[in-house]
Amino acid sequence: MPAPAFRRLSLALGLLCSLPPAFAETWPAADWAVAPVPASPAVAALEAYAFPQRDDDSRKGVRTDALLVIRDGQIIYERYAGPTKASTPHLAWSVSKSLMATTLGVAYGKGLFRLDDPVAKFYPPMSQHADIKIGHLLNWASGLDWQEGYEYAPVKSSVVAMLYTRGRTDMAAFTASFGQAATPGTRFLYSSGDANLLSAALRGMVGTEAYKNYPWTALFEPLGITSAVWETDAAGTFVGSSYAYLTARDLARVGLLMERDGRWGEQQLVPKAWVDFNRTPFANYQPSKETEGDAIPGGQWWLNAPIAGAAKPWPDAPDETFAALGHWGQALYVLPKENLVIVRYADDRDHSYSHDELLKLAQAAFVPAVQNREAK
Amino acid sequence: MSAFIKRRPFSTVLLIIVVALAALAWVNRVHLAAFPGIIGALSAKEYCSCRYVMDNEAGYCKSYVKQIIPISGFFDDEANKRVTARGLGSTQTAQWKSQREGCQLLPQAAELPAGSN
Repeated sequence: MPAPAFRRLSLALGLLCSLPPAFAETWPAADWAVAPVPASPAVAALEAYAFPQRDDDSRKGVRTDALLVIRDGQIIYERYAGPTKASTPHLAWSVSKSLMATTLGVAYGKGLFRLDDPVAKFYPPMSQHADIKIGHLLNWASGLDWQEGYEYAPVKSSVVAMLYTRGRTDMAAFTASFGQAATPGTRFLYSSGDANLLSAALRGMVGTEAYKNYPWTALFEPLGITSAVWETDAAGTFVGSSYAYLTARDLARVGLLMERDGRWGEQQLVPKAWVDFNRTPFANYQPSKETEGDAIPGGQWWLNAPIAGAAKPWPDAPDETFAALGHWGQALYVLPKENLVIVRYADDRDHSYSHDELLKLAQAAFVPAVQNREAK
Repeated sequence: MSAFIKRRPFSTVLLIIVVALAALAWVNRVHLAAFPGIIGALSAKEYCSCRYVMDNEAGYCKSYVKQIIPISGFFDDEANKRVTARGLGSTQTAQWKSQREGCQLLPQAAELPAGSN
């Protein structure tokens, strides 16, 4: 090839590569583009698992309310059950924690705080815990003497007391009143209290007036989310631990934002560095025999990372899989390499549902490479 | 002392159990005092959100909030979107506030109308 022609070709190639990636991507506008996958045995197997005969009396077994799958920015599968419809803003339970983290990501991008800022800087009642940093809360590593469990010890459960009795008027203040059980940053302990301290700290970062609508102005409106409800405690603090509600289609928008590293169209809504932090395992997390199968804590998001020699929690899902997870089977899964976002809403009252099983069946149904492998 | 134990072995064991239980209750007094509020509060709040945030039907929401410990009184004031539930002797009320804010437990429970359950 003569040199000038070669130069022209490489110039053209270079130009092609420098086009904004949004050019070739599909993004939802007012609503999602819908391109349903055709029926297949793999889709049938997924449905058999996710939507068995539903028994509303015994409430036993897998009880999926909504299953929505986005591939390459388009809806390829969607089904609802029980009372839930496409228009239902479903309770997200602890998926709210990850939504609060992503809301905080917008404030982080505006330079309103740093991970090593003391929580007390933004929420004065934490001055008695001056060593607890924002980053510690995001890793569920405040070290506060919290008791999350409620199913086996409802009398002493901190989260039940926070939501329904002693803590309900001011959940962040209730959490701040707990004693210190471990040095901040040294120990993972799942705590809904930590999430509500983050919610209260957000008010200090953005100001009382802006706070009232901040999740909408910062996150929901830019993503085109219209169904969001976020309940507050009597002090006006968003119940960041538990009480956000969105339709499945709206929650999937947050999933797509995360799949694409915080970018929405041409706007970097949340810094990529923030999403990277969300997806980084907490450095002092110690997997053990008891935690086998438990997702790995990142920055208020859950990871499928193999760490410290332990097997990854969901063996049939890719290592890069991450998720927002909530009580009774709520889940927002992101498989970045497969360009998949999966929303599952549910009312699982027992422990029969398995993240790994759903992800395995979903990949067989919706990931082309896996589909081909299975077909051979 | 040992003579008493020998004479009354069963009473002694019973006495020890009573003292241990009293000590346990004292240590957990804050938790125990708050406990009766749980059933009414959970039922009122989660029913309110099920009905007025998620817009599900009344019959579904009643079964959705059903606990092992039953409620002894329930009233859904539909006109005001205000839900009151009573359990373990404690009455609690949740109020729907707005489109974005959903439901919230009130500091003071509303009165349950006579015969509501």
